[in-house]
Amino acid sequence: MDDTDLHNAYHDEASMGEDSILSPRGIEHFTRKVTATASHLVGPLTDQSPSAANHYSSAMAEVHKHMKRPNLQRSMFSMAKTTPTDLVRSKFSTSEIQNRALSYLSDDMLQNIPEIDNSYSLFQGFQASFPELSDDGKKHRRRVSRGRKMIDDAPSTPNSPQHLHKLKKERASFMHELEMLGIRKNMASSEIREIDNKIANLAGMRRIILDRLAGLEQEEALLEHDIVDMEGRIEDAQLLVDEAESIAADTPTRDDDEDDLVLDQDNDEFMSKSIYEKLPSASSTPSKSKRHKVIRRKSMPILHEHFEPGTAIREIKAHEDNITAIDFDHPFGTMVSSAMDDSVKVWDLNAGRCIGVLEGHTASVRTLQVEDNILATGGVDATIRLWDLSKAHYDPQGNQDGEEEDGMAFENPDDQPVEPPAGTMSDCPMFTLEAHVDEVTALHFRGDVLVSGSADKTIRHWDLEKGRCIQTLDVMWAAAQASASMGSAEGAWRQTGRSVSGPADFVGALQVFDSALACGTADGMVRLWDLRSGQVHRSLVGHTGPVTCLQFDDMHLVTGSLDRSIRIWDLRTGSIFDAYAYDNPITSMMFDSRRIVSAAQEDVVKVYDKLESRQWDCGAGITQAEENKTPAIVEHVRIKEGYMIEGRQDGIVGVWTC
Amino acid sequence: MTSLPHAVDAETPLKASELQVLRAQYEKEGDMVGVQTKFNYAWGLVKSDARRDQQTGVHLLSDIFRVSPERRRECLYYLALGNYKLGNYGDARRYNDLLLDKEPMNLQAADLRRLIDDKVAKEGLMGVAIISGVAIAAGVVGGILFRGKRR
Repeated sequence: MDDTDLHNAYHDEASMGEDSILSPRGIEHFTRKVTATASHLVGPLTDQSPSAANHYSSAMAEVHKHMKRPNLQRSMFSMAKTTPTDLVRSKFSTSEIQNRALSYLSDDMLQNIPEIDNSYSLFQGFQASFPELSDDGKKHRRRVSRGRKMIDDAPSTPNSPQHLHKLKKERASFMHELEMLGIRKNMASSEIREIDNKIANLAGMRRIILDRLAGLEQEEALLEHDIVDMEGRIEDAQLLVDEAESIAADTPTRDDDEDDLVLDQDNDEFMSKSIYEKLPSASSTPSKSKRHKVIRRKSMPILHEHFEPGTAIREIKAHEDNITAIDFDHPFGTMVSSAMDDSVKVWDLNAGRCIGVLEGHTASVRTLQVEDNILATGGVDATIRLWDLSKAHYDPQGNQDGEEEDGMAFENPDDQPVEPPAGTMSDCPMFTLEAHVDEVTALHFRGDVLVSGSADKTIRHWDLEKGRCIQTLDVMWAAAQASASMGSAEGAWRQTGRSVSGPADFVGALQVFDSALACGTADGMVRLWDLRSGQVHRSLVGHTGPVTCLQFDDMHLVTGSLDRSIRIWDLRTGSIFDAYAYDNPITSMMFDSRRIVSAAQEDVVKVYDKLESRQWDCGAGITQAEENKTPAIVEHVRIKEGYMIEGRQDGIVGVWTC
Repeated sequence: MTSLPHAVDAETPLKASELQVLRAQYEKEGDMVGVQTKFNYAWGLVKSDARRDQQTGVHLLSDIFRVSPERRRECLYYLALGNYKLGNYGDARRYNDLLLDKEPMNLQAADLRRLIDDKVAKEGLMGVAIISGVAIAAGVVGGILFRGKRR
């Protein structure tokens, strides 16, 4: 039958379309009508009634009537779901197609609509924020108008219905405004939540990437170690091959001699030239030379730069006693520490493990410096010793006597550090400089020039190439000279007014650069010497207490003193560039490109950020404050490229990013 | 106060200066633009008379839909309205019907459905009229030609 077919057709259409446009009610209705019409049409034919024509016309009229209803029209055209113009546009206009592709939402996404009740709709937000955005004076005007109205209200009769109406209207408008304000408030708080979420997300991402970076750096370190290992083996193999060749050449004696000679030369070189070759060149940034045999990292660790400033990297229980001196060569490189217990220990900062103990000094070491693989130490026993750290027998990866896993030893700072096997440093000592007659309190070397200051009131200038003292600078004599020639107290030795508990080191700090030498002494003076003439060419007066630390770069000289102040001098004019003070005497100070860090007898390191001109504290005193622990006072501090280490009075060394 | 705009609201364009304020706010926030700001701008665009603006507005709305699931439900309505204004009745219907599925009592959505139906019917009838007109004309011309040929 026609009608049922039609019915089916509609039904299929309806069930096939993913969103049913035709309401089933409409279809049914229409179907009933058609069926009725059909029976009307068919009916008269069968019973041959005289009212056939009448029947027919009434039935058709009914269908027609139904057809005219907009409802059906809609249903008919909604088959296509849209208008022809739209269809044409969506098929033929490129810009239209492009735009539709951009704003198309997949069915997947449409399926996934969570049931969340927002306190306000975006449209309400729009309404609430729009007047604000477009007309910021409105709020103000409202206030004014309200005030005016209240004045206006006064004369009008308060008991008239008009007045009541007006008041009601006003209340309604106020209510509306209140509602708007509520929405705005909600908007602001939800926006804050949104931002918080974003921040949390970003922080999470940062953590993940930081972890990835850490992993990469670990791999890098291991691989580099393998490379060094491989290089060593290649060298050995080369040696064997050479030997075999020389034997094959059938002139063994001569070749052997030559070999010896070569070896000797190598040794010579090592004793002399190599030292300054390995040292950074005269440029302001230390050069990352990668000469053979120098176990030097080829890649620079950058992990610490991405930690938040003030993050603890590591804490090493280095000694049992007060740390007397500490230094490291570069971030995650090698650290050397010495303590009152007379020991000097070498550490691998990457693994946080002790490489070995340097034996030689008969008393505690007061000052030391690590530069590349060369270590200089000056001690109470009045000697200066030089060490070559590259000669250490140390396997950064290896387990020690199969004891614990690599990282375990330092993961738990309370654990006793793993003792390094004895004899790892047996090849390290290079030579000893003995000339001072009292304890060496400060030393510094650069290139083949080493200067040392001692309690015997002299500064000695050493040539590392020849391994001997070139000249002795008598500070007292220089002071006397200055006062004599200038006829004033300027430059003369004078006792500082500040009474210091315990005698301060006569020479508190030294730094040398080519022939320029800066030294800070117990009289609070900073003297700049010319090593070629052996004369003081400038004295910087200002500190009122013994100078304990100093450092200069191409622009400034920074000094720290027991008078509690840090002074920054302009090297060209000799005048004070900047100065600031802490609550306690400064025992140690160092700066890098951005920060000046100092130890001021507190459990934290004082950091001055030069770029932001900001003072802040970094160290265990901050992190352990929550745990109600008071860490020991920081005695010495070193910083390089934002990587800071500090040695405390209880022998603990903290490593931080700064 | 209604939480969703009536279709009429979309038909009243903002002043150029007002739209400019919304745009400035949107551009100021850059990549980290908040949902509300984005919506404000998008809605301002949809209200505009220029088709290009409306398209951008709908695009931004679909962005909001993608990025913030908690706003999807109401976004359906805005998208439907935007597409309706653009004359993309197919899409408008798709979104609006989905919304009606979820919220059968939503007055605005029901209104919008009626509007879409009306528009489609009217334009559809017009289309049919045009097509039939063309067909008749073609038939007449063809008939004349045919008759001419036969003669």
